[in-house]
Amino acid sequence: MDTQTALQTARLIVEDLSEKVESPETDRLDFYLKDKKNLVVAATGLRVQHLGYLAAITGLDPGAEQEALEVLYHFCTGYVTITLRVNVPKASPSIPTLTDIIPGAEPFERELSEMFGITVSGLRNPAHLYLPDDWAEGDYPLRKDFQLQVQPAQSQTKVN
Amino acid sequence: MQKKMTGEQFTVPIGPQHPALKEPAHFSITVDGEIVTNAFVRLGYAHRGIEKAAEERNWVQTQYLLERICGICSHIHSTAYCLGVEKLAGIEASPRAQAIRVLVAELERIHSHLLWLGVAAHEAGFDTLFMYSWRDRESVMDILEGLSGNRVNYSANLLGGVKCDIDSAQDEAIRKGLEFLKERLKHYLDIVTSDALFLLRTRGIGVMTRNQAEVLGAVGPTARASNVAREIRVEAPYSMYMEIPPIIILETNGDLEARFVVRIKEMIESCRLINEILDYLPPGELTVRVPRRIKPAETIMRVEAPRGELFYFIKSNGTDKPERVRVRTPTICNMTSVVKLAIGSQLADIPVILAGIDPCFSCNDRSVLVDRRGNKACIWTWEELRQYGIRYYYGDRT
Amino acid sequence: MESNKNLWKSQLDHIKTWGRINSPWLLHFNSGSCNGCDIEILATLTPRYDLERFGVKLMGSPRHADVLVCTGAISRQARDRLLRIYEQMHEPKFVVAVGACALSGGVFHDCYNVMGGIDRLLPVDVYIPGCPPRPEAIIDGVVKLLGSLKPTPIITPQVDLQPENEPETFLEIGRS
Repeated sequence: MDTQTALQTARLIVEDLSEKVESPETDRLDFYLKDKKNLVVAATGLRVQHLGYLAAITGLDPGAEQEALEVLYHFCTGYVTITLRVNVPKASPSIPTLTDIIPGAEPFERELSEMFGITVSGLRNPAHLYLPDDWAEGDYPLRKDFQLQVQPAQSQTKVN
Repeated sequence: MQKKMTGEQFTVPIGPQHPALKEPAHFSITVDGEIVTNAFVRLGYAHRGIEKAAEERNWVQTQYLLERICGICSHIHSTAYCLGVEKLAGIEASPRAQAIRVLVAELERIHSHLLWLGVAAHEAGFDTLFMYSWRDRESVMDILEGLSGNRVNYSANLLGGVKCDIDSAQDEAIRKGLEFLKERLKHYLDIVTSDALFLLRTRGIGVMTRNQAEVLGAVGPTARASNVAREIRVEAPYSMYMEIPPIIILETNGDLEARFVVRIKEMIESCRLINEILDYLPPGELTVRVPRRIKPAETIMRVEAPRGELFYFIKSNGTDKPERVRVRTPTICNMTSVVKLAIGSQLADIPVILAGIDPCFSCNDRSVLVDRRGNKACIWTWEELRQYGIRYYYGDRT
Repeated sequence: MESNKNLWKSQLDHIKTWGRINSPWLLHFNSGSCNGCDIEILATLTPRYDLERFGVKLMGSPRHADVLVCTGAISRQARDRLLRIYEQMHEPKFVVAVGACALSGGVFHDCYNVMGGIDRLLPVDVYIPGCPPRPEAIIDGVVKLLGSLKPTPIITPQVDLQPENEPETFLEIGRS
C-alpha cells in the first residue's frame, strides 16, 4: 500500500489504543500505547491489514533514575515505519509476547529480555540468545545502571 | 507407511573450528532416521556488547566501532550509521559523496555474494567453484583497495561524507574489473542452473513458499527467492538510489537453486549500477561539517545490506555521545526461517540450507541448535555433517 | 659429559620439532571476531596467495593440527571452546594470533563480553597485527614461525677466534 494509505490505516487501527500520537519524521508514526495490554490488539490489527512486517524491537532505558523502561515495536512497509511504544515499569518489568501472531518476533523478544530484564510472558523459549550461559542473573547489560561486577579479563585463569 | 521411531538422537554442534563457514556456531539437530524433527539455535560466540560500547564512545568513535560489527558488510553498517546521524544533525552529504558511498556499497554487495557463492559451493562439495569464485573475488578486492587502501574494512565513510575520491585512472580500473567480472558471473549463472550434480543438491531443496517467507519475516535475497518483493533500495530508496534505482530480482521457486540465481543476478545488476554511477558521478565536495553535539532526537534508518534489510535506530541526547544505537541485522530475521525449514528436511541437506540464507553470524552471533530426544547421543563435527551430505547425494562419484 | 648429553638432547628435540613442523597443519578458530581476519585467512588458500604450496593445510579437527590460528577478541562464550581446542591439540603445538582483536581486544577491548587478546588465555608464539592483516602478512607470520623453529648449530665455538689481520673498519674488509 502507498504511504498515505498506510499512515491513515495505522491511525484508524491504533489511535484509539494510544494516549499520544507523534510523527517524529515524515513517513513515521509513533503511537504511545495506553497500556501494555493493548499491544497484542494493536499488533494483530496491523497484521490483519497486512500493514508491514515487524522489523525490529528496541528497548530503551531513559535513565537510572527513571521508573520505567520503554519498548518500541517497529512495523515497516515501504517508506513508512509505524512504531508502537509501550512503557514498562522497572518495578514489575513484564510484557506480553507477540510470537503467537508473529513467529519471527522470538529472537527479538529473547534479546529484549536478556538485555533489559523484561519478562516476556508467553514466550515459549526464553533462553539466552546472545549472553553466555554463565552470565550472572540480574545483570542486564543495556540498562543504564549496568556495571560489570567482575571484568572478564581478571576472572579468567591463563594456560601456561 | 508408518515411520519407525528409532529413538536416535544426534547432537551436531557446528563447532567453532568450522573450516568453511568461518563462524563459530553451534547447532543441535534431532533426527529420526534421516529426517530432522527438531532444531534449535544458540547464538553468543561473537557477542561483544557493541550496542553498550556505542553509548560510551562519541559519534566519531562509534562509527569505527560499528564498522567492525562485520568484516564482510562493514561499509553498509557505517553507511546506515552515517546516514542516520546526518539525518539527526539535519545535514545532507554532497551528491558526489552519496554517489561514492553507493558505489562502494555495490562493490561490497558483489564481494559479499561472491564470498557466499564460494562458501555455499564448498558446503555442497564443489571446491572448484569455491576456488574460482574466490579468485574472481580478488578483482573486486583490488578495486576496493585501489579506492580506499584496504581490502576489508575499507572505512570509506565519514560523518558528513566520504574519505576517498575517484579519479579517471580509478574509473578506468573499475570499469575494466567489472567487464571481467560480468563474463565470469554469466558463466556461474550457467553452472548453477545447468550442472546436474549441483542441481541434485539445490533444486527442490529447502523450499520456502511465499506465504512462509512473509509470515516468518524473511528479508533480503532469501525472501526475494520466494517471490517476496522486499528490497529497501526499491521500496524505500535512500541516498543515490533515488536517482539510480536498481531492478528488483525475484524468483518464484523458493528453493536453494532460486537463492543462488537471485544472488548471481543481483551481482550482474550491481555491475550495471556501478557503471551508471561512474557515468553520472557529479563534481563537488567530499565532506560536509557535522556538529560535535547533536540535539536530542530519534531516527530510524533502513538500508539494504547484502544479506537483507539492515535496521538502525539511533537516539541522541544533546551530548557528543549517542544515547542509544540499536542494530538489527538481517541474518537474525532469516534465522527463524532456517530453523523452520530444517524441520522435515533431510539431515544431509542441513549444511546447504543453512548456507543458503547467507548467515553472517558475526552480525548476530553464533547459532547453536540443541535438541534432545531419546537416549543415545552422537556428536558430529560440522565437517562430518558436510561429508555426510556429500556422500549421501553423490555416493562414490566424487 | 652430562652437559654434552643435555646439549644433544635439546638439539635433537629441535630437529624433531622442525621435522614435524616443516609442513604444518593449521587449525583456524574464530573466538568472536567480525570475520574480517577469517576471510583473509581463507583467502590465503585461494589461488592468488595459495598457502598450500608451502605445505600448509587447513584442518578441521584439533587432533590433526600443529598450529592454532586464532582470530577475534575472546568472547566469554568462546573462551571454554578455545581452551578445549588447545588442550586437544598434540605437542608440539603453536599459537598464532591474527588481527588487532586477537592481539589486545582491538576496538572491543573494554566491552562487557570481551576478555581481551588471545595471550590472556594461551601462550602466543606469533602476533600478526592488522585490521585485518593482508593475506601476505598472514603468510609472512606463518613463515616466520617456521623459520624460528630451525635448529641452532650443534657445535658452538669454544675458543674466541682472533684473526691476526683483523680489519679496523668495514672499508678495510673490502680492500683486504
